[in-house]
Order: sequence, then C-alpha cells, then structure tokens
Amino acid sequence: MRFIFLTILTAILVVFLNPVAPFWMVMIGIAFLAALIYPNGFGGFLGGGLGMGLTWLGLCIYLGITTGSSLPDRMGELMGLGSGVTLIAITGVVGFLLGAFSGWTGVSFRNMLLKNPEDVYQG
Amino acid sequence: MKYFSFFLVLAITAALAVAVSIPLGEIPPIAPLLDPNHGFWQNSISEDQLAIEEIDLENLSAPVEVVYDQNLIPHIFAQNESDLYRAQGYVTAQHRLWQMEFQTMAAAGRISEIVGPIAIELDRMTRRKGLAYGAELGMKYLQENDPETLALIEAYADGVNQYISELEEARLPVEYKILNYRPEPWSAFKSVLLLKYMSDMLVGDRDLEFTNLRKILGQAKLDKLYPDFPTENDPIIEAERIWDFTPSAVAKPDSISYPGDLIIAEPLPQPEEGTGSNNWAVAGKKTKNGNPILANDPHLSLNLPSLWYAMQLSTPDHTVKGATLPGALGVISGFNDDIAWGVTNATRDTRDWYKITFQDDSRKSYRYGLEWRQANLRIEEIKVKGQDPFMDTVVYTHYGPVVYDRTFKSERQDQNFALKWTVHEGANEQKTFLLMNKARNHNDYNAALDHYAAPAQNFVFASASGDIAMRVQGKFPLKWPGQGKFLMDGADPRLEWQGYIPNSQNASTLNPERGFVSSANQHPTDASYPYYVFDNSFEQYRNRRLNRKLREMEQITVEDMMALQFDDYNLQASEALPVLTTLLGTYKSDSPEAERYLQELKSWDFFADPNQKGQTLYSIWSAETMESVWRELLDSKAPVLRPSSYRTIELMATVPSDSIFDVASLEGVETAEYHVWAGFDSLLVKMGQWEAEEGDYAWANFKKTTIQHLVPNFKSFSATNVYTGGGSGILNATGSRHGASWRMIVELGSEIKAFGVYPGGQSGNPGSRFYENFVPIWAAGEYLDFDLRAQENAENVLFKTTLK
Repeated sequence: MRFIFLTILTAILVVFLNPVAPFWMVMIGIAFLAALIYPNGFGGFLGGGLGMGLTWLGLCIYLGITTGSSLPDRMGELMGLGSGVTLIAITGVVGFLLGAFSGWTGVSFRNMLLKNPEDVYQG
Repeated sequence: MKYFSFFLVLAITAALAVAVSIPLGEIPPIAPLLDPNHGFWQNSISEDQLAIEEIDLENLSAPVEVVYDQNLIPHIFAQNESDLYRAQGYVTAQHRLWQMEFQTMAAAGRISEIVGPIAIELDRMTRRKGLAYGAELGMKYLQENDPETLALIEAYADGVNQYISELEEARLPVEYKILNYRPEPWSAFKSVLLLKYMSDMLVGDRDLEFTNLRKILGQAKLDKLYPDFPTENDPIIEAERIWDFTPSAVAKPDSISYPGDLIIAEPLPQPEEGTGSNNWAVAGKKTKNGNPILANDPHLSLNLPSLWYAMQLSTPDHTVKGATLPGALGVISGFNDDIAWGVTNATRDTRDWYKITFQDDSRKSYRYGLEWRQANLRIEEIKVKGQDPFMDTVVYTHYGPVVYDRTFKSERQDQNFALKWTVHEGANEQKTFLLMNKARNHNDYNAALDHYAAPAQNFVFASASGDIAMRVQGKFPLKWPGQGKFLMDGADPRLEWQGYIPNSQNASTLNPERGFVSSANQHPTDASYPYYVFDNSFEQYRNRRLNRKLREMEQITVEDMMALQFDDYNLQASEALPVLTTLLGTYKSDSPEAERYLQELKSWDFFADPNQKGQTLYSIWSAETMESVWRELLDSKAPVLRPSSYRTIELMATVPSDSIFDVASLEGVETAEYHVWAGFDSLLVKMGQWEAEEGDYAWANFKKTTIQHLVPNFKSFSATNVYTGGGSGILNATGSRHGASWRMIVELGSEIKAFGVYPGGQSGNPGSRFYENFVPIWAAGEYLDFDLRAQENAENVLFKTTLK
C-alpha cells in the first residue's frame, strides 16, 4: 500500500518539480518522500524507481506523439543505438535507477533515525 | 548495521548521480541529456508549439511586432533601426544561436575550447591567418569612423544577449547539450568577425603552386597552360564597355627576382572547388511584363543549419526582405520596395605572400630595403578544453602575419613568409548592407558599395524604376601584370602593392545595350580593362551558358528565370564529349560494356538531370582523362595546380599531338589519344565496381548530394542523398557537397513579386519540423512565395510575437 502511495507521489513530484529543477533535486525530493511514507526497503526502491522511470518514459512518449519530431531517431542514430525507441527505453531505465536508489536511500535514512525498539522481544 | 546500510545506499545513490552528471570521454553527461524536462527530448518541440504572444525585450523605444508566416519566416516591424536590429539579434538567436556562435568560434580560432586539444593546430592556423586581427582592426575602424553603425551592431548584440541570458536549459540548442558547453555572450566584435570569416571561405591564392609551376615549366609553358584570359572570354562586364577613365599608374620594377627553389609544403587551405554563384538582371525591354527581373543564387557548402536565414525587416521608412547571415545585421541578398540586389563571389588574387628575412633569431626586426624594420609579436592564448591554455606567438610584419615559422609547421620550406591580405585592413562591410537595405535607386546602391572591401563580390542590381546594373566591388590592390602571382621577396620595397584601384574605377556597368547584366564568377572584364586582374579559378562554363541563354531569351517571365537557375545543361560535356569520342576511335569496341556506355553517352542530351546516366559516365571519363594528362605534373614532389578543365579540353581538341601530352616515363611519344584511352579504361573499371556494389548509376544516385550538419560527425543531423540534378560548371551548380545555397528571383514592377528558397529550413534545431522542410522544395527547383508582407496582412500567419 505504502509502495503504491510512494509510486504515485513520486510521479506527481517528477511532473511538478522536474520542469523547474534538475534531476538531482528531484532525487533528493524522492528520498524525502520515501523517508516520509516509509515503505520497506524494497518498496522504497521500486516505488521511487517506478514513479520516476514511468514518468520519464511517459513524458518521452508524450513528446514524441505531440511533436512528431524525428529528433529521437536522429539522436538514436547519433549515439549508435539505432532508433529513438531504444532511447525511450534507456531514458526510462535511467529514470528508474535514479528514482529507485533515491527511494531506497530515503527508506534507509528513516531506518537509521528510528530508535531500536528496546522492549520488543527479539528472540 | 543500519548506519552502515544507510551510508552504503547513500554512497551508491550519490555515485550513480555523479556518474550520470559527468562526461565520460566523448559521451556527454547522460542524465541532463536524457532528462525529458531539460534534455534533448525538449528539442523535439517545434517553434510554433512554443509560440509566446509577448516577450520582454529591454532597451526598445517602442514595441516591435514579429509576424511569422507558415514557413517560420519572421517579419519584424519596428519603429526605428535601433529597435529593428535589436529585434533581429533576438529573433535570430531564438532560431540559430548555436550556429552563429559556432561559426564565430571557428573564425576566432577557438574550436579547442569546445572539442579539446584535437583542434589546437586548426585554431593556430586560423589565428595565424589573422582573421581575428582583421576583425579587431574592423572594430577600431568603426569606433573611429562610424559610431552610428557600431551602435546598431551593439544593439544587435544586445538582442542576442538578452535571449542568451533568459535561455532555459530546456530551450538550449541540442548541439550544446551533446557537446556539453554553454553559449557565451555575443558581441559586436563577433558580428565583424563573421564577415571576415566569409572572406576566409571565399578567398584563396595559388602563389605557392604558381611559384613551383614557374620553376618546373618555365615562364613560356606556364603562360601556355595557364593563360590569363580564356580563348572564349565571356566576361561579367560586357566586352563593349568603354573604360572612360584615366587609370592609376602602376610601375613595374625593372628586374624582379623570385624565390628560386621548389617549395615542398602544403598550401594554405583553399576555398573548396565548386564554391561559386550566379546572378543576373534582365531589363524591362526583354521581359514579358516590361519589368526588370533579378536573380541570384550563391553557391556555397551545403550545410545544416543553413548558412542563410530568411527575414523581412521593416521600419516606417523601409521594408527589406531576403537572406540574412545569422550574426550579421540586415539582409545580405534581397530586395525592398524599390530595388533588388544579389551577390556572387568576385574571385581575384587579393592575398599575397612575402618572404621575410629576419635580422637574427629573436625575429624582432626584418630587412626592408636598406633598413631593418621592427616586427610586432602577438601572443595568441588558445584555451583548450580539459587542459592548460596553449600560448602561440605570431610575428606580425607591416605586410601581415608570418603564418609558418619555426614554431608552427617548422618542417615546411616556406617558413617566414608574411601574408598580405585585404582582410587585415579596417573596413566597414556591415555599412554596405545597412545602406543597401534602404537603397532606393542606382545612386544609393553605388554609395552603399563604396564601403565594401572584402570578400569582393559582384553586386547585381535592378530597380523598379527600370535600371539594371552590375559592379565588381572589393578593395583591389593595384598590381603590375604578374604581381602577386608568385611568392615575393618582402625585403624588396619595389614589390609592395602600389595602392588600390579607386572604387569609381572598379569594373561596373549600368543599363548595357544588350538588356541584361550577369555574373558567374568568371573574368570580370575583357582585356581592355586597364588594370591587371588575376585569379586561377575564373569560371569558363556557367558564364557562357548563362549569357547565351540571356542573349537569346525575349519576353522573359519569372518562370523562365526559375528554369534558368535550375538549368542542368552541361556545356563542358557538350564541348568535350565529341573530342573524347573522336580520340577514342574504335578503342575497346569489342567490349559489350564499353559499347553500352558509349551508346548511353551518345544518346545523352547533355543535361545533368538526376535520372541521367550519361552525366555519370561523362563525369568519370573526363575526370580520369584529365587526371591522366596531368599525372606527371601533379606527381612532382612540390605542390602544383593543374591547368583548368577548359584549357585541357581546348588543348586536346586543337593540338592533340602536342608535347604536353607526352608521358616522359613511357617509351615512344604519347598524344592526347593515349590519355583518353587511359581515362576510358578507368571508366570501365570504376563503373564495373559501382555497378557491382551500388547498381544504379543515375546521376543523383552517383553524386549523392548531401547537406551536412556543421559538425560533420553528426551524420544523422544531415540530409543525405538528396535527389537533385546539376553539378560543377552547370548553372544549377549542385554537386555532392556544394550548390545553390539560396535561390532568389524578384520582379520589380509596381508591385514587387519575389520568390526564394534555400536548402534547409528556418529553424536551426534538428528536432524542429522547420529544420529541413525547404530541402524537397529546393531539390525540385521550386520556390516559396517571398513577397513583402504588410503588418496587417493576416494570411498564412503561423503566430505573432510582440517584443516590448
């Protein structure tokens, strides 16, 4: 549940913050969100990753559809990747990795801050 | 444990963030490039999708309206010139910022700042030619003599800079993102430098090659193979023109000694062959509507973003439209309500080399007559991406910079020659265009041209009042016959240029009897012109084809002029092919391939249309034959220049048994026939290869016209294999990398009718739909409507922006 919540909030953050801020500020924002929402480590990784990766992927596809530009294909060829579709995928993956590690970092940060519950039977 | 895991994850995340933010070798930082909000994806958006109704532009005295037509051609309506050029700078930067900056970086010898140490040698070469030095003198000239023009150039720079200062990362041209650098402020100096850069593109010299040729061939043979005038000279200014002035005297020294040894060194890079242009104007008496019609198509390297940017510039006092150069003010080739003008390169040797004899190793002084003159040292600091700046010391004499010396290409034999070039003298080319934009008649046109020095151009002119004119304008040194054709001795003051041809005596004509004026980079005049005019590259074919057509045409329409700009007739082939086939005789008549190719050549109508195979066969056969004729000459270890194709064909036709055709390394006596056969053998080999590898050898498929991005490595930003005809020496001079970079036709009636097109698009952004949308129109020989627009005209408006 928290994982889905993180995914959605991350996507919203990327949509609104990213146009006015560079990617590394978005990463800090995602870490902050993950620490706040506090899913487990894997949920933070996946939630941050999917939130940012899917949003980047969606934006590329949206720009491709609304502009009909040949630029993705030209860039793909320039970078030796063949077509623009590969570049869309790579953009999504890079977005996923940046978001995922940010989310995971946020969760670990919260983990670190939490006191060890001393009165819980750990045995 | 949890501390450890946090810091581990944080470290991984931080490392990832850093890894995607820094360049790895040639690869730019990956995340800023791919970020869909800021990276290259944003450059997918075309200009009309980004249209803004109002933009703040400071320092304007009144609002300026910019109306874009459906081709993204801006029409700028300002209340005065200062506002107009400020807006021109802003609007040009919006669409062409990267290109303008890149071109001036190249001109300033600053490419190393962008690409690193790989370009240091290139930058040293550029600086040692003194382009930036010339631009500094140009700035000084403006400061001292023409503060009004300087103020306008500064207004333009301010417009560019206001755009740069508000530029968001997302809107940054994609080339900056890929090459990972950012624009720096524009300046008036850069505009001045840009015009110097045009000189570098268009002006060459062959002093080194001719010096060697003179040594190898002797003066008599040199004159035979490289005559100053072609047999059939069809000059720019009609041969009937009477020169009714008293020419300035030029004194030739009694005896001249030339450097004696062969010089084995690469000559300075030359303008690329095929760089040439056509322009003409026909008088009302030859046109159907009785109005003068003017046409211009400058041929240059075919590049994207295009060298040209179309614009209309209007104030309440004047309205002008045509092709602008991003970085320069006003329109360069265009028209207004009253007149139209166009340019072709007036190629002429305005660049000479003087041998410098230094007094000692310190190079502080050099011999000049009986005295020792002081040299100046200019320190060039070349900033280099990723390493310390490179410092280069260049010696300047009163002639100009010493290009090659012990620190630069010291293996060369032609060390310590100073380059004298009109580009190194203060001049005010920008003023010419500012005045021409507002010119109303022939007098205004002449007054505008008086400010123009380099690169020399043939300025064609026509006015709605019925005048047509041509003037070869540039700052031309006064030379005695032969002066500057060879390297000269800088210690001998008698070899100095003796001043300049007065502007009023530059070759020109007004309303000639024949009813037309024209130029195609050929000899400016016939031999009666009282000054020595030399260049090795005068055109011999386009001019004759053009003048023949113009002489015979009557009742001319705009459509006729369009057809003439797109004329694919290969005059050289029509003259040379009969010579080649006669000399070929029955050679290889038993080969079926040979028979097939010869049949195709025989049925060919000499038009280099894109689907023609004869043109492909002719181009290979003639090139291989000429290669064979001059192979021994070109094989000499010193750089030389081969005689022109025109002269070669003439010699093959008239004196096929002459000793020039003999190959010394072979036994017996060879004649022209030997070379034609050798050329034909090469044709069979090359065609065999081509047919095996590529198949179709129709002309367009063979020549593969490419419009290349300014960074040649950015292949996918280029337009390749454009299906179009024409070639070198043909009016439609579209070769594989060169061609008509701008075509314009203007009919000057009571209402001006204008058409234009260029191989590119208004946008410099490879992601925009306006990046290369003119290419198919251009390739098919079609045009865009270029009529002047009134501000209130609402037809075909893409969008409007108000600057205030």
